[in-house]
Amino acid sequence: MNNRRMFMFEIIRGAAAILVALIVAMVFIFICSDKPFEALRYMLVAPLITNGSISMNSIYTILAAMTPIIFTGLAVCVMFSSNQFNLGGEGCVMLGGFVAALVGIYWSTGTYLDIVIAVLVASAACAAVLYIPAVLKVKLGASEMVSSLMMNYIIMYVVLHFLNHVFADGSKGSVQTFPFAATAKIPQLVAGGSKLTWGFLIALLFTLLVALFMYRMRWGYSIRMIGINENFAKYSGMKVGAVIILSQVIGGFLSGMGGAIEVLGRYETFLWRDLPGHGWTGITVAILAKNNPIFIPVAAFFISYLNRGCTLMATYCDVPSEMVDIIQAVIFLFFAAEKFLAKYRQKLVVAGAKEEIAQKTASTPKAEGGEA
Amino acid sequence: MFEQIITMVFQTDFAFSIFRITAPILFAALAAVVAEKAGVVNIGLEGIMLICGLFGTLFSFWTQSWFIGVLGAIVVGILLALMIGFFALKLHTDIILAGIAVNTMSAGGTIFLLYLFTGERGNTASLTSSNILIPTIKIPGLHQIPILGDIFSGHAVLTYVAFLLVFLIWVLLYKTSIGLQIRAVGENAHAAESVGVSVIKIQYIALAISGILCGMGGAFMSMYYSQSWNTGLVAGRGFIALAAQAMGRGEPVGTMFSSLLFGFAQALRTKVSGVQGVSSNLISAMPYLVTIIGLVLYAASTMKKVKKIKNKDK
Repeated sequence: MNNRRMFMFEIIRGAAAILVALIVAMVFIFICSDKPFEALRYMLVAPLITNGSISMNSIYTILAAMTPIIFTGLAVCVMFSSNQFNLGGEGCVMLGGFVAALVGIYWSTGTYLDIVIAVLVASAACAAVLYIPAVLKVKLGASEMVSSLMMNYIIMYVVLHFLNHVFADGSKGSVQTFPFAATAKIPQLVAGGSKLTWGFLIALLFTLLVALFMYRMRWGYSIRMIGINENFAKYSGMKVGAVIILSQVIGGFLSGMGGAIEVLGRYETFLWRDLPGHGWTGITVAILAKNNPIFIPVAAFFISYLNRGCTLMATYCDVPSEMVDIIQAVIFLFFAAEKFLAKYRQKLVVAGAKEEIAQKTASTPKAEGGEA
Repeated sequence: MFEQIITMVFQTDFAFSIFRITAPILFAALAAVVAEKAGVVNIGLEGIMLICGLFGTLFSFWTQSWFIGVLGAIVVGILLALMIGFFALKLHTDIILAGIAVNTMSAGGTIFLLYLFTGERGNTASLTSSNILIPTIKIPGLHQIPILGDIFSGHAVLTYVAFLLVFLIWVLLYKTSIGLQIRAVGENAHAAESVGVSVIKIQYIALAISGILCGMGGAFMSMYYSQSWNTGLVAGRGFIALAAQAMGRGEPVGTMFSSLLFGFAQALRTKVSGVQGVSSNLISAMPYLVTIIGLVLYAASTMKKVKKIKNKDK
């Protein structure tokens, strides 16, 4: 009973956070735009409906954009659950994409096994990379946050070095690798020009796997317990160090996989010149999902929808699409705020307790009556 | 190749550039020092600097005065830091997440605000003119001395302020009652509360000070260092500052030296990237690598100390 009440409360709170963000957005739109209602319509409705009918193409675009941030969201979920603020997901996405592209170019076997090999090698490489801040944290107590942030930049520059000087396709005007083998390209899920690939289904599959891991397996339980109370976990005999390392290695693996699937699904060659930003978005997604893997796709859908809406708004109206960052940050802040609407929550708890007492007092006289 | 690099390093303009490059990192690192001393992790330094950089340029453009520009940047810095404080201290958002939110907001939010206020897209190159940049000063006397003058004179006003602040922050932390309270709150919030210190108030104050410092850092970047504002203005300096703080053991003077180390690494990168046969990408990664190495060395040395103390107890 009480659990359902709390769940309802969380939903109301989420809705309130989104409402606040939308109000902020509206204020900006009204300041910025000559035709604010038009702009709002593009932002909120246009991703689903164009010219009065549901636009499948737009929905496919949203689903395609969800794929990488589901992976990074899951990665953040696992890492933050053990209270490790590892922010290396960003670099891992880039490294994962790069390694996958290289495997697809140079180690092609000519069969569809290419995809599996490329994605796994890329994920393993990223898992190995995030092993470094994890070990530094566990063995030396060095802040995983700072070292993982630094690693993002190191990864970016090292990838750029190899892209520019070693693996560049000299025949092209822009800096990019050679195209990877046709068999390494992740096939489309639906025919047509959309970028929605089988990667999306893999992302959903991994959502299930991570959820099972976190809530049905001993290691997952350890990760969550360490996040809740590290000392308790230590004194109840959990191998805290090993679990902390494991959570970050899994985080690296998932982020790397996200990058690999993104590059192999969406592009023909590797051509990122900068960190793609999916790692940071993953943090927002994980916060919206309350670090619960099952809700990650929902949160990712929301963010992608919002992004798409803002892009459409910027294309057809006079509001820059970058406004989406402000909206995201506002939602993020209120979602993560434990005391947001705390008074209302207090009222709910009190009401629940009163009800329980009322039920008990109502049932006890009956019991006594029975005895008599 | 190496000879070329070494002759470059032993030139006065290289030493000059170290101070110029260190200053913004130092501002942010001192901001991290003050926040950390009060037990709050301000990871929003990066975003605050970017936003302050923008507002510094805008205010100076509107008023045609560099000084008001810097003041405006400082006010915006305080407001943003207090916003982090409001969410973290009042609404109990994890402070790291609150900082990340500010960073998220800053990336696109600045572009949006710039468009909102001026209609410009992506950078302010068309707004800035040389008369509203932060002026440089030639220190009389020192300026005439051959080598020292070339290195230490002719910096921007804020460069001197940055290094002066190392001393001022030290005084603030160790010689004033507010500093004592800040350290007490960071050391043990419950103990501080038990003797009547308002923990939240002190943490707000510490955050506000870090906001001031970030504001100056941002203004320095946009109004002197790169002469105009663009989205890549801060380029990780806020994060490097966190590392500098950790490496400098959270003390103002130590943090100054670690900031200088990063300044050196970046100055080297700027110099060396022009040399044939050196990959500018790999050189660019150097400051970040130095950070991790520094962090590891520091962590290892603390670990040793802790072990020593533990062994003594036995």
